[in-house]
Amino acid sequence: MNTGDSDPDARWWRKAYGLALSVFAVEVVLLYLVTVRFS
Amino acid sequence: MNRLDYFVLIATILAIPLYGIWQTRGSASLGQYLKGDASIRWATIGLSVLATQAGPITFLSMPGQAYESGIGFIQNYFGQPLALIVVCAVFVPIYQRLKVYTAYQYLGKRFDRKTQLLGAFLFLVQRGIAAGITIYAPAIVLSALLGWRLNLTIWLAGGLVIIYTVMGGTKIVSITQRYQMIVILVGMAIAFAVAVYRLSPDLSFQSTLSVAGKMGKLEAVTFSVDPHKRYTFWSGLIGGFFLALSYFGADQSQVQRYLAGGSLKESRLGLLFNAVVKVPMQFSILLLGAIVFMFYQFEKPPVYFNQPAYEHALENGYAPQLTALQTQFDQVFMQKRAAIRAVSTASSNERDAAMNKLRELDAQAHALRDRTKAVLVQAGVDPKSKESDYVFITFILQQMPHGIVGLLIAVILCATMSATAATLNALGSTTAIDFYRPLIRPNASDHHYVLAAQALTAAWGLVAIGVASFASLVENLLEAGNILGSVFYGSILGLFLAAFFIRRVTGSAVFFAALIAQTLVFVLFATTNIGYLWYNFIGCAAVLIGAPILQQTMFRGTEPPTEA
Repeated sequence: MNTGDSDPDARWWRKAYGLALSVFAVEVVLLYLVTVRFS
Repeated sequence: MNRLDYFVLIATILAIPLYGIWQTRGSASLGQYLKGDASIRWATIGLSVLATQAGPITFLSMPGQAYESGIGFIQNYFGQPLALIVVCAVFVPIYQRLKVYTAYQYLGKRFDRKTQLLGAFLFLVQRGIAAGITIYAPAIVLSALLGWRLNLTIWLAGGLVIIYTVMGGTKIVSITQRYQMIVILVGMAIAFAVAVYRLSPDLSFQSTLSVAGKMGKLEAVTFSVDPHKRYTFWSGLIGGFFLALSYFGADQSQVQRYLAGGSLKESRLGLLFNAVVKVPMQFSILLLGAIVFMFYQFEKPPVYFNQPAYEHALENGYAPQLTALQTQFDQVFMQKRAAIRAVSTASSNERDAAMNKLRELDAQAHALRDRTKAVLVQAGVDPKSKESDYVFITFILQQMPHGIVGLLIAVILCATMSATAATLNALGSTTAIDFYRPLIRPNASDHHYVLAAQALTAAWGLVAIGVASFASLVENLLEAGNILGSVFYGSILGLFLAAFFIRRVTGSAVFFAALIAQTLVFVLFATTNIGYLWYNFIGCAAVLIGAPILQQTMFRGTEPPTEA
């Protein structure tokens, strides 16, 4: 099975996935802050 | 709606397909018809994926959901960014490398024909029904409130989509979805701005949010492990992950969107765009619902938002009961408005008592609405869709300026058309490639298969209109689509994950494991009350556990699978 690791840009894509995950984590934290602030 | 609204509405919903038809004029090869061409870039793919998922139900039902139960529904999307990353890393490279037209062709290459047909069949059944719901959901609400004939509304939305999807295939779907999604985003941004502007000047925006929060509308995240709570961080993250992984990885209506363009990089960027923007977009729509809720704390809302049903009951001899309930509701509304003002001006010592009073009045208002609904049931005019589906559209029709009303109705129809076009495109392609080509005409020309895909797309369009014409929804529109998907997606996802990650398993073992898993989910659906998101997990896990067991027992000694 090829999961894209042989892709010459694999490292770039790993960084992109990490960035997307980080943005998502920030979004969840912000939503949690909304909950705490207004509930 | 006045003439300006109708002008904006008609111009918007006609201009985009006409532009698409002009852009895709001329004949297309089979590859171009089913996968678009290299000119489709990541932004178009990203908007197209977003539009396919959103659908009209998102814009009709979701603000009503927040109005009724708060913004906790946002947690259902928490599994999606993770799932999209897995799709980018695992699914997309394989589909691109094998140059498949449909996701199920991969199952055929990895396992065998019958597993390919099973995956395709489960998709066709689920999506064929879902396409009908996508058309029916806005049609029933718009026809009730605008006085349009239901069948005419269904044929108007469905007929236009069939024409342009048949003509232009995947490329026209991608092009029209890009502009339809832009109209949707602009329309919703305007709706949000107008709703905030129309809030009572008695409270600052921050105080408004504070009161909404105290009334339970802004609890976005809860880490509760109570299985009876419908939306939690954990169910959204785990159940939502499996739902999204199946939807984006194995549902042809999405696979066809991101395979358009044919480049691995563009596909991945389009999906990552969705991973980043989906949660904020859904949050904005839910927050809009919470703002509409606060608007109706100062402006008297109808006691029942489905006004046509309410008026029908009034005319049918239920006026005395309904008028008495309306009078009580009006009194509670006045007291509630005073209580909100009291909360906002109360000192910190008095605030708890003022909040308790407000919550008590809110509960009374709820009880009166429930009693009104009971009278409507008694009168035999109980609507088939949930009352909350009428909240946002009522707000649009009664509170938005002319022109914007037309634009927002266009938003709902654009969302209907974009989601339906993607679905019909996928249903036609799957039937042509997974069934017609291998089983009926294996060696025909490319041109023949383009014609077959066109005819099958049109046929599925007629099936969707048929389902919409005879549909009778009993649940909230928003939930109906998700429940239907969750019942089928688990076993479809199980087929794909077994293909990717379990090397020594054959097509027969996976095929029968998927049949058992699907039966198990049907039985659980019919006999238990498990939160529907868990069906995705259960169906998938049943295939992944069942396939190796069957391989080691019933199919022991059969040929090992070929490497994908």
